[in-house]
Parts: sequence; structure tokens; C-alpha cells
Amino acid sequence: MKSPRYYRHIQKSALFVALLLFCLVLVLLQLWLFVAVLENYLAGRRAMAIPAALASAAILAVNGWMLRGVYRVNREP
Amino acid sequence: MEERLIDDFPVDWEEDHYVSRREFFKFMTLASGGLALGTGAVAVIANLVRAEIRFVPALIAKVSDLVPGQALAFTFPRPKDLCILVAKKDGGIAAFTRRCTHLSCPVEWDPERNRLFCPCHNGAFSIETGEVLQGPPPHPLPRVSLEIRGDEIWATGVVKSHGEEA
Repeated sequence: MKSPRYYRHIQKSALFVALLLFCLVLVLLQLWLFVAVLENYLAGRRAMAIPAALASAAILAVNGWMLRGVYRVNREP
Repeated sequence: MEERLIDDFPVDWEEDHYVSRREFFKFMTLASGGLALGTGAVAVIANLVRAEIRFVPALIAKVSDLVPGQALAFTFPRPKDLCILVAKKDGGIAAFTRRCTHLSCPVEWDPERNRLFCPCHNGAFSIETGEVLQGPPPHPLPRVSLEIRGDEIWATGVVKSHGEEA
């Protein structure tokens, strides 16, 4: 019989991996946004620069929030 | 020998290269911050640091100096704005900005095929209208308005394909 602590550890681990993968997807999305903004700027189109910058900042906020959550999860017994 | 090395460099290789998942998460968040900063910087440069361009007519060449079928590079209206003046074989002249509308590479005059050519991604533009003939450029090349005053050729403005001043 495994202890509840063991199951909690497994659960935390799965949650951590899920958050990490989500973070990876978000960073790739940011990379795509950055390249798109740069290409559009070089082609003389400026319309998408500000919405893309806002979207990128929102993704950073989500990533920061997830990092905070990860530290909190690890601190709990 | 190996023992001496271990004494001199007592850092465990596996411990040294081990990156925990938490450290990796922190690194990804830092990368996310860098990308957000970069995108923000491009947005600021694109929208706020846009100086008003004044089109002051500029003398760019003399008609008598032009050789039909050849091109001349010049800058207008600012020293960093590259343009190209082409003396066509039929005697006409045309001038366009040199920045390809795809990714801003400078276009070149291709006398054999009578077109302006961008070597970066094989884009080509018509020398008559600046329209895209091939390749990835999304818009025609902006045309430089010319005025002939006696023997002199003056650039007076830059007009985009839909008639709007660039």
C-alpha cells in the first residue's frame, strides 16, 4: 500500500510537466509573434506591432504566474 | 593521473550539468520575458520613433549623363532612403525606392529582362509600374516622382501604388 504522500508526489509531478509543456507552447507562440512583427516591420506594415506586443506581454504574465505557481506547489508538503 | 584530476577539479560532472525542471521553467520564463521585450521594442520603434518625412525636391542626375539601359542609385528624401533611377531603352526614365516590399533588401536593375530584381528571395518588379512580377513581395515598389527641369532630373516625392504619399 503506497502512502498518500507518494500519490501526491505523482500528481504534482504530472502537473509540473503539464505546466512546463504549456509554457513551452506559449514561448513558441511568442517566438512566432516576434518573427511576424519583425517581418511586417521590415515590409513597412506597422498595424500588427502593438497588438502583438500586448499579446506577448500577456503571455509573459501567464508564464510568470505559472512559475509562481510551480514554486508554491513545490513548497507545499 | 585520474585521481589527481579529480582532486584538482572536484566538481561532479553529472551534478554540474544537471538542470532541474524548475530551473528549466525559470529559463523558459526568462526567454518569454526576452521575447516580450523584443516584440515591445519593435512595436515602439515601428510606431513611436517614426519621424515625419519631408519631401524637399532634390537634384539626382542630369539627362545628358544618362545612358539608355543603365541605372543610377541615389538617396531620397533622406540619406538612408535608397532609390534607383533607370534610363529605359526606349528613352523614358523611371525611379523607384530600392527597398523591396518583402523584407527591405535593395532591388537591382536587371537590364536583360527589363525589370527590377530582388536577389534575396527572387522577387521582381515591373520597371513601368513597379508592380510585382514574381516572388514573395506583397506590394508594388513605391515610385519616386520625377520632374525634368531643363537638363536636370529632380526627385519631388514618393508615391505608393495606390497614389498615397509614402
